[in-house]
Amino acid sequence: MQLPAIPRPLARVVGALPAFPASLAFSAAGNLAAWPALRGLDWGEVRGRRFCVHVRDLGLKLYFSVGRKGFVPEVASSADVTFTATTEDFVRLGLRLEDPDTLFFNRRLLIEGDTDLGLRVKNMLDGVEFEELTRRLPAGLGQVVTGLRQRAQMQA
Amino acid sequence: MPSEPLLELICPAGSLPALKAAVDHGADGVYLGFKDNTNARNFSGLNFDEAAIRQGVEYAHAKGRKVLLALNTYPQPGEVARWQRAVDRAADICMDAVILADPGLMAYAARTHPDLRLHLSVQGSATSYEAIEFYRERFGIQRAVLPRVLSLAQVEAVAANTEVELELFGFGGLCVMVEGRCLLSSYATGDSPNTCGVCSPAHAVRWQQTPKGMETRLNGVLIDRYADDEKAGYPTLCKGRFEVQGETYYALEEPTSLNTLEMLPEMARLGIAAIKIEGRQRSPAYVAQVTQVWRAAIDAVKRAPESFAVAPAWHGQLDKVSEGSMHTLGAYYRPWK
Amino acid sequence: MKLSLGPLLYYWSREDILAFYEAAAGWPVDSVYLGETVCSRRHTLRLPDWFDLADRLAAAGKEVVLSSQALIESESDLKALRKIARNEKYLVEANDFGAVRLLAEQGVPFVAGPTLNAYNPDTLALLRDLGAVRWVPPVEMPAKMLQAMPVPEGMETEFFAYGRLPLAFSARCFTARHYNLQKDDCQFKCLDHPDGLTLRTREGEAFLTMNGIQTQSARVYSLAHRLDELAEAGVGRLRLSPQSQRMAQVVTVFRELIEGRLPPAEAPARLARLMPGEPCDGYWLGQAGLDYQPERAAFGRSGVPAANVRGQEAAPTPR
Repeated sequence: MQLPAIPRPLARVVGALPAFPASLAFSAAGNLAAWPALRGLDWGEVRGRRFCVHVRDLGLKLYFSVGRKGFVPEVASSADVTFTATTEDFVRLGLRLEDPDTLFFNRRLLIEGDTDLGLRVKNMLDGVEFEELTRRLPAGLGQVVTGLRQRAQMQA
Repeated sequence: MPSEPLLELICPAGSLPALKAAVDHGADGVYLGFKDNTNARNFSGLNFDEAAIRQGVEYAHAKGRKVLLALNTYPQPGEVARWQRAVDRAADICMDAVILADPGLMAYAARTHPDLRLHLSVQGSATSYEAIEFYRERFGIQRAVLPRVLSLAQVEAVAANTEVELELFGFGGLCVMVEGRCLLSSYATGDSPNTCGVCSPAHAVRWQQTPKGMETRLNGVLIDRYADDEKAGYPTLCKGRFEVQGETYYALEEPTSLNTLEMLPEMARLGIAAIKIEGRQRSPAYVAQVTQVWRAAIDAVKRAPESFAVAPAWHGQLDKVSEGSMHTLGAYYRPWK
Repeated sequence: MKLSLGPLLYYWSREDILAFYEAAAGWPVDSVYLGETVCSRRHTLRLPDWFDLADRLAAAGKEVVLSSQALIESESDLKALRKIARNEKYLVEANDFGAVRLLAEQGVPFVAGPTLNAYNPDTLALLRDLGAVRWVPPVEMPAKMLQAMPVPEGMETEFFAYGRLPLAFSARCFTARHYNLQKDDCQFKCLDHPDGLTLRTREGEAFLTMNGIQTQSARVYSLAHRLDELAEAGVGRLRLSPQSQRMAQVVTVFRELIEGRLPPAEAPARLARLMPGEPCDGYWLGQAGLDYQPERAAFGRSGVPAANVRGQEAAPTPR
């Protein structure tokens, strides 16, 4: 699936944003969209650890941790584990169109820091059924996401 | 009497969605493990708890597919009961078979659950019919998974001398060493497949982007360093680049996957009971993609073995998800050795 | 505590092998394990030659054990295995369950080798019932696991206590691969490397040793300084794995140790000059095999965790 490339000027603007507001927005969005489907997972070993999602093409680093009530934005410049990929690849991972190992072999996904923590989260998320995720999304959004995924699968 | 199985497609599942992906895309059987070191893919966050296993078995059985439980590590003193309880649970959940490596545990399973079907795991390292017959005579195993070390001619000799069904690895990560007899991981990290159910455990792995390239370290030991345009492999010792007599290369094996699609007609002729796909640590997306290709290929070979040809698209789809984006026939093809 | 000379893991010329065992006949070891355990292509000694050697060593007063090949692939491998298993004179070390089957069929006593993967009491008891009178635990077994293992009555524990660790077997020959040769046409390159070929990381750390289809550690496992712990864990016999140079002196060090003529604390210094690589003892401590912490107690009584000296490369040992 071809997702539109991010226009360069936009990337520059986004990359220049201070990290915390972006992390805040990301965590808020995550709590709204994904947390209802994820709250039931066994987060015990993960609580309090700091994650960084580094969106390479946007030059954007999002820091957060997982607390009892969902994602918590972090003011930080370091994390226990950092995932680096492009916007498109993160989206493809999110839509379950791509296997993380495949992206890793192709150097499109980098996991730095605590590898065990990174793989644990990856495996935990793999254990959630896609339908379960979309079913709990706010009305409308679920349909959009499902539609996107189906279109991409048909194109593959 | 059911007929002898032929080329059953046995697919990996590290989670319930992966199991469903395998079943939905045509697996005849799915193998999985509990969330502990009773199986050889004991990775954080991976595998099944009791509830997920029951759901999985229900889902697969409703569609007429099998579920096999891997209990293929070696119990250790003081903990044997935990492996035995796992066998009991397998019988209780109505698993179609348990895949075991340890003879002591096999004896327990045969004694306690005489109706439970036993498969000899690849971790049992049986490479000859003498070894396979040992497990059959003593414990009544019905299937053996062969280590990825025999050529196809050697497989044929094994098949000719035992009535135990044979299961061969068809696709996925390639162990170059005889499974069950490789201690490289514990030499570097302290954790071995035999005792901990892990090879090159994630807690010992560090990936780091450096000015010289992306480095992979295992407990501090530099396994490889990749330039920006190079494909990467798993951080396993046997796929690293090392220096031998002044030459730096993949001294043991390249990062590559096993792919035996083109050998399917031969495997059918030898009466191979099942083809195993490696990759319980992979995501549901991988399981779906690989299962789909192998289902099509096995159906094609069963329909018309003489005219079977590997569709180029199959290789393309499989290479895409392969380690190093390459594939090999491994030991099945003699010159590889 | 008894001493055994483990099977020769490398490939040497006929003259060198014969000279080695000629000398070994006079070394203070109790047992000698004979035979090719690694690769069926190796043939400077054929099976009848090994039987001859066995007779000579037995005549010199050694207990002789014939070791079977660990990785059996072909029908000819099985033929050789049957000849070894059905010899009527000598104890056999079974390194594969095919060998166990053949030995149990005949109802003869045998040694359960390290590649049988006996990790628990049930499997050990099963091996005893099948006829094993001695077992060699997997080389990665830690002291604590060994100590927790109830060894059946009438069964002796032999432990791999000195030598490069045999870590893995493959169908592929890594030595042939190094020379861009196929295994079937390997030109017997192993002959050029009497202690294997060292594999280094890209940072120059000696890491592994390629020995044909076998992969060994580059470091030399040595538990000489841990004689008391070995005894405490129930070990009755120490296996010393052959190396091409100075093996006689290695045997002497261990003999002096078990006779109390050499304090264990002095063993590392004596052995350092005799080893083909740096030492390690991590497996015994339940750690990474390549670790070396000679000061650390395996059973945790002295309780002082010593620094891990891995990485502090000592001066290369002279050959």
